[in-house]
Amino acid sequence: MNFLTTFAETTEKSGDIFSALGIDWRLLILQIVAFLILVWLLGKFVYPWLMKSVDERQKNIEEAAKAAKQAQESAAESQAETAELLAQARKEADEIISTAKLQASETLSASEKKAKDTAEKIVADAHDQIQKDIAAAKRDLYNETLQLVALTTEKVVGKTATQKTDEALIAKLLKEEKA
Amino acid sequence: MSLTSLAAMELHISISSEPLFHIGNFPVTNALLTGVAGGVLAAVILWYVAGKVRRGTYNRFVGLVQWVFEGLLKQINDVVPDKKIAKKITPLAVTIFFVVLINYWLSVIPGLDSIKWNGVPVLRSLTADLNFTLGLALITVVTVQIYAIRYLGVFGNAGRYLRNPFKDPVGAFEGILELIGEVSRGTALALRLFGNAFAGEVLLIVIAVLTSYAATVVLPFFMAFELFIGFIQAYVFFVLTLIFTSLAVAHHGPEHPTDAHSPTDTPKKKAVAKG
Repeated sequence: MNFLTTFAETTEKSGDIFSALGIDWRLLILQIVAFLILVWLLGKFVYPWLMKSVDERQKNIEEAAKAAKQAQESAAESQAETAELLAQARKEADEIISTAKLQASETLSASEKKAKDTAEKIVADAHDQIQKDIAAAKRDLYNETLQLVALTTEKVVGKTATQKTDEALIAKLLKEEKA
Repeated sequence: MSLTSLAAMELHISISSEPLFHIGNFPVTNALLTGVAGGVLAAVILWYVAGKVRRGTYNRFVGLVQWVFEGLLKQINDVVPDKKIAKKITPLAVTIFFVVLINYWLSVIPGLDSIKWNGVPVLRSLTADLNFTLGLALITVVTVQIYAIRYLGVFGNAGRYLRNPFKDPVGAFEGILELIGEVSRGTALALRLFGNAFAGEVLLIVIAVLTSYAATVVLPFFMAFELFIGFIQAYVFFVLTLIFTSLAVAHHGPEHPTDAHSPTDTPKKKAVAKG
């Protein structure tokens, strides 16, 4: 491994550390120029496309994130709306059920009342009919009794009573009967 | 194995790149030749990826390069506060990363130090040539100065280094330190990359010699390590370029608020507005 001694010898010979380190101004300038040309070429024709692609990707990511956030917000809103609708539907259903129960109860009461009224009417009608029948029976009995009395009287008296005597006799008999 | 026996093996290690042939008076070195291949390879890869991206046809390789590019772009935007300057510095910073990475990785190609022409190894990484690393450091330092002048103005930028020692002795001293800092930053950039790449090549050669026939098994581990170091060095050079730019454009005098990063607020433009 003799590079250290070679380095020391070169420095001693030339008295110049740059030469010893291999620095050649022509090579240095050439490499600087070549590198700058490479930077210019890449900066002109290559990096703009890569930067554009990075920007687009960044933009897409941002848009996707924004869309995801919006979707999340919409989902949350929809969920809230659904919950609200569900609560409202439940409330309405409860109201409908309670109204139906009330109506059923009212209908039942009305039916009961109607039935009761009908029954009472039927009973009252029956009572009236009975009274009428009794009255008719009494009237029939009265008439039959009168006829019977007239016949009996005719047979007893032996003559046909006139209307006047007949009525007088009937009245007398009835009076006696009552007494 | 002692150092003398190691030296007896006559390992061909040269701190400088060696000329393979001359075109006229101009030396074509092994590092220059490998560097041309590395530069062309970097350009072809990026050109291919850009073409695929433009056509919208992707594959895993394109996705990988695009992912790296996106990461670098994010890093640039994070480090450099001014978006306009960040966009302008992007081509230089990204090219530095890819060119350094690919050229560093070329040093791992099997055949290093063994393929020779006229007794000179044909393969030598461009990053193991001080001409390249120094050139790259010079480009970085000059570019940083150009952006600093654009942002702060000629006098504003000069004010970072030159201050009146009678009015502000501490500031004047600080300015001198800043000036020394600029030089040392550039030198450090060049020597750091060169040192790592050169040491990496030497390490691979020494390991190959020391392990002899076992090199087939041992070398891949060191090669993988060198690939990792290559990535780190490319990233370090890239990030330092950004940090130096950021430091230069974020420098404000006591009369300028630190949050005023808009180029419209530069002292030069303010002076023009006052004038």
